[in-house]
Amino acid sequence: MSHFSAEQEQTLMGWARRYPYRIMGLLEALRQVQEWRRCVGDQDEEYLAKLFDYPRNHVHELVTFFPGLTLRPTGRYRVGICRGLSCALAGSAAMCRCMEKSLGIKAGETTPDGKFSFETMECIGACDHAPALIVNDKLQGAASEQSISELLERLP
Amino acid sequence: MAKTIKFTLDGRVIEAREGETVLQAATRLGLLIPHYCWHPALGNPGNCRMCNVEVEGAPKALVSCRLYPKEGMVARSAAPAPRRWQSAALEFHLVDHPLDCPVCDQSGECGLQDYYMNSIGRYRSSMRDNKWHMGKRMVLGPHIMLDQERCIMCTRCTRFVDLISKSHELGIFGRGHSQVIDLVPGRVLDNPYSGCVADVCPVGALTDRDFRFQVRVWYLDWTDSICPGCSRGCNISAHTSTRRPWQNKGLRLARVKPRYKPEVNGHWICDEGRYGFLNYDSDRLGKVMRLKPSAEELSWEAAAAEVSSALRRKPAEGLAVMASGRLSNEDWQAFQKLFLEKLNVRRFLFAPEPDQVGAEDELLRRRDKAPNLEGGKAVGFGTRIASMSWDSLAADIEAGKVWGLYAVDRDPVKVWDQRGHELLERLDLLVYQGPRKGLTGELAHYRLPATDWLEEKGHFTNFQGLVQPYRQALKPLGAAKPDWAIFEGLAARL
Amino acid sequence: MTKVLTEHWDQPRLHELETYRRLGGYEALKKVLGMDRAQLIDEAKKSNLRGLGGAGFATSLKWSTVTPEEKNPGPRYVVVNCDESEPGCFKDRVLATRNPHQLIEGLLIAACAIDAKQNFIFIRGEYQIQYEILEKALAEARGAGIIKPPVSIDLMRGAGAYMSGLDTALLETMEGKKAWPRQPPPFPTASGLMGRPTVVNNVETLCMVPSIVLRGGEWFAKLGTAKSGGTALFSVSGHVEKPGVYEFAMGTPLREILAAAGGVKGGRKLKAVIPGGVSTPVLTADELDTPMDWDGPRAQGSFLGAGGVIVLDETTDMVMVAHNIERFLAHESCGQCTPCRQGSYWYVRILERALDGGGVAADLDTLRRTGEDMTGKVICALGDTVGLVTRAMMKKFSNDFKAKFHGEPPHG
Repeated sequence: MSHFSAEQEQTLMGWARRYPYRIMGLLEALRQVQEWRRCVGDQDEEYLAKLFDYPRNHVHELVTFFPGLTLRPTGRYRVGICRGLSCALAGSAAMCRCMEKSLGIKAGETTPDGKFSFETMECIGACDHAPALIVNDKLQGAASEQSISELLERLP
Repeated sequence: MAKTIKFTLDGRVIEAREGETVLQAATRLGLLIPHYCWHPALGNPGNCRMCNVEVEGAPKALVSCRLYPKEGMVARSAAPAPRRWQSAALEFHLVDHPLDCPVCDQSGECGLQDYYMNSIGRYRSSMRDNKWHMGKRMVLGPHIMLDQERCIMCTRCTRFVDLISKSHELGIFGRGHSQVIDLVPGRVLDNPYSGCVADVCPVGALTDRDFRFQVRVWYLDWTDSICPGCSRGCNISAHTSTRRPWQNKGLRLARVKPRYKPEVNGHWICDEGRYGFLNYDSDRLGKVMRLKPSAEELSWEAAAAEVSSALRRKPAEGLAVMASGRLSNEDWQAFQKLFLEKLNVRRFLFAPEPDQVGAEDELLRRRDKAPNLEGGKAVGFGTRIASMSWDSLAADIEAGKVWGLYAVDRDPVKVWDQRGHELLERLDLLVYQGPRKGLTGELAHYRLPATDWLEEKGHFTNFQGLVQPYRQALKPLGAAKPDWAIFEGLAARL
Repeated sequence: MTKVLTEHWDQPRLHELETYRRLGGYEALKKVLGMDRAQLIDEAKKSNLRGLGGAGFATSLKWSTVTPEEKNPGPRYVVVNCDESEPGCFKDRVLATRNPHQLIEGLLIAACAIDAKQNFIFIRGEYQIQYEILEKALAEARGAGIIKPPVSIDLMRGAGAYMSGLDTALLETMEGKKAWPRQPPPFPTASGLMGRPTVVNNVETLCMVPSIVLRGGEWFAKLGTAKSGGTALFSVSGHVEKPGVYEFAMGTPLREILAAAGGVKGGRKLKAVIPGGVSTPVLTADELDTPMDWDGPRAQGSFLGAGGVIVLDETTDMVMVAHNIERFLAHESCGQCTPCRQGSYWYVRILERALDGGGVAADLDTLRRTGEDMTGKVICALGDTVGLVTRAMMKKFSNDFKAKFHGEPPHG
C-alpha cells in the first residue's frame, strides 16, 4: 500500500503509460503530485522512482531543478508576479511589494492557512500584460493594486 | 595494425588511435591539456570547459575532450590564446571557491592548485564580491566527507555512483550557481566502493574521513603494491608516512589508493581494501621467541636450530602445517621445499578461515579473501595436495594423531574458539610464524616474526592467474623476516 | 501588407475547428497527402523559411537532414517547441491561444515531411490556458479524423525552466531529465528524443507551413527579403503604447514595427530597443532603420532572435537593464558548464553592487574580459548570451556604465 489513493495510483500509472517510453511521463507525474500535495516529498519521490524504474537521485534532481516543483508545500493558490525585463519596466517590483503586503508574507512563503503562496517569476511569456500576474499556471493579466485585491477577494 | 590519425598538437605530430579524442591522445603521451570533468572511465560530459584548444580553421574554441582529431589537423593547447581560455575557465572555477588550501587535505594533489601554479593560472583575481556559501564538513557516509564550497561541479562523483557503483546515493541538486552535490535525502554514501569518489574528485570537495588532517600529502611516499584483501589482486599505491613519524597517529600506512590496471581493477578498489589495512602496524611481532617451556628471546640462528630439531623429534606423519593464502609466490616455493621435500609432511591446511570468505560482486570483490591461494596451487597446494578441513584437523588432534603443528599466519584459536585452546595445549610442538600475534601466537612454543606484505617484495597470483609484483614500502619491524627467508633458514638445517 | 499568421485573428472563434476549416484550414494537409516528401521539402526550401524560435536554421534543411528510414529504421518524431520563456517573447502563447489548429496542421505536415508517426507538443507549464486550448483542439482534430492512427500528437508540459526551450535541453526534459543541453554532435535529426531522429520546430515556424504548402514556397519567399522568407511575428513590449503581437514582412525596419505599436509610451524619447528577446544585444535609437530579418540586426551586432522587441525609453538606466537580464540568465543557467554557472552569477553580483553605488572602474574590465571568456566557450547559447548582452550595452551606452562604475576599489 502506498500513501496514494487507488485512484491517484491509477492517474500516476496513466502518466507512466501515456508516452512511448515510460520515463517520458515522469515530469508530468511529478507535476501531478505537486498539484495534489502542493509539494513533492521523499515518499512521493520513492514511489515515482519505483513506478518509473528510475534512480531516486535523478528524481530528486528533477524536483530541485524545476521551480514548478517544490520540496515544501506551496499554497492552494500559487500566485506569481513576473519580474522579467518588460514586467520590471512596468513596475513589477512595486506590485510584488503590494502582493507581499496584501498577503502578509514574503516572496517564497505560504500564508499560514495554506491558501496562498507567492513567488516572483522569471518571464511567463506575457510581456504584453506587464507586470504579469499568474495563479496556478494561468495568466491573470496585468498586476495592479486593484487587480491584486480583486484577485485575492475572488479566489475561494 | 589499428588505424591511427596523425595530427599536430603544439607543433608536435601525434598519432591518435582510432576513437581517441585529442585530450585522450595528449594525456596518453603525457602532454598537458588541463581538464576536470573527463575521466577515462566516467566519460566526457564536457562541462568543465578547461580543455579548450585552438584548432586551425575552427571559428571558436573547442573542448579537446570531445574533439576527435582529423588527419592533418593542427591544434594548439599551449599557445597564448588557448592558455588564456584555460586560465579563464580556471578563474570561473575559483570565483566562489573558499581558497582555503592551508586547511584543506587536498593541498598538494589538488587540480585547482596544480593548474593555478603552473603555466595555466597565476592570474590576478578580480573577484571583489561576496562568495556564495554552501555546506561545509558534511559527513556523507562512513568514509567520505563533503565540502560543497570546494566543489567544482565536474560531476565525476555522481557519474561514479550512477555508472560504476550503481548505488545512486549522490546527485546534483538545484540549478545554476546554487546547485550542489549532495546525498539523496535519507541516504548515506555507503556502498562497497564509496572511497573511490574521493579518488575521482579532482579537488578538495570529497575527502577521506580517515585521512582528514592526518598528514600532508607531500610527506607521503608512494609504493606500487597489490591489495592483499582478496583474490582480485587490485593494483594499489601504498601511501606511507615515515618522514614525520609522529603524524598519522604514529601509523606508517596512511592510505591506500588504486593504481590503474585495466585488466584487473581498472581505476577502482573496494572500501574493504582501501580501509581494511590501515591498522597495519598494530599487534605486530618483532622478536624471535621461545615461549615454552621457558620464555627466551632467541637469535634467528638459535631459533632455527631449535625449531628444526623439534620438527624432527617425532615422525612426520604426526606433523600438521597450516598456511595462509597471504603467502607470496616466493614464500610458497620455500614453503613447498621445507615442508614437502625436506620434512615430507602429509597434513596440510590452507583452506580459508571462515572470515576469509566474504562478499563478492560483479565489479571487483571476490568471495575468496586470501590474495594468493593461486600461488599455492602453482606448487601443488590445492591441486596435487588437498587441504584438510578445519574440522578434520581438529578431530585428528583430538584423536592424538597429530603431535606437532606449524601455523603460518593462521589463527586456529580464532577458528576453533575455546576448543582451540584445549586442542593446542595437547600438542608437543606448536610453532607460530606470522606478522601479527593473533590469539594463537600466545600459545606457541616458538613464535617467529614475519614481515607483512608492505615490508617485503614479492608476487601474488590473482584469480585470473596473473602474476603481479609488489614492492617493498616499509622497513621490517624488529627482527622480522620474510616468510620465505624463515623457511629457507630452517630448510638449510634439515 | 500580406499577413500569413494574423490574417484571421479578428475571427472570434478561430480556435475552433469549424471556424478554422471554414477559412480554408486543413486544405494544405489534404494537398500534402498528394505530394511526395521530396516535393514537400523542396517547397519548404523555396520558401526560405527559417526557424522562428530564434536560431534561424533553414527549416527545409532540418527536415532533410533527418536520418532516412533505411539508414535508421524505427520511429522518428516531430516535437513542437512551445516552451517560450524569454523576456520579450510571447508570440507562441498568442498563436496557441488564437489559432491552435494552424499549429496542428503545420505539425502534421512536418510529420509528413520526415515520415513521423508520433508527434509531441512540448509546452511550458505556465501556459496552462494554452495547454487546455490545445488539448481541446487536438480532441476536435482526432474526432474529425484529421489526426488518425498511426499518426498521433501528444502534449507534454514543462515545469519552469527557460533552458527547456533549447532544443536538446527540451529533449532531455521530455526524457525525464534535467534541462541540461546536450553537446552536439549528434544533432537531434540524427539522435534526438530517446535516441531517435527528431525534428524540433518552433510553434511559429510550423504555423507558417500550411500557407507555404497552399500558396507555394516562392510566394512565401517573396514576402520577405532575399535570405529571409515570408513574414514574422514581433512581440512588442516595454515602453510602448500598445504592446502586443504584430506581423510584418521580413526586412521591415524596426521603426515601422515600433510605430505600429503606437510608439514610445507617454510620448517620451526612445533610448534603446532590444530586438529579439533579452538574449539579443541591444540596439540604439539611432539604429531604428535596421531591417528586421535574419541579417539586419546582425549588422549591428545583434540578432533577430524570436522577435521579442523590448522598447526602452529615455528614463531607462542601462545598468538596471543589464542587471535585470543577467539576473534572469543566472536564474535560468542550468549549471552544467562552469563559465556560465559561475560567470552569470558573478555578473549579477557586480551589477548589483554597482546599482547599490559600489561599482568601481576596474569592474568594467572584469565584465568585458569575463564576458569574452564565456561567449563561445560553453555548450549552449545561454552562456554565450551572458557574456554578450552586457558587453553590447557597455559599448553602446558607455555613459550609463561610467556613471555607475567609477573610482578605485577600496583596497587597491
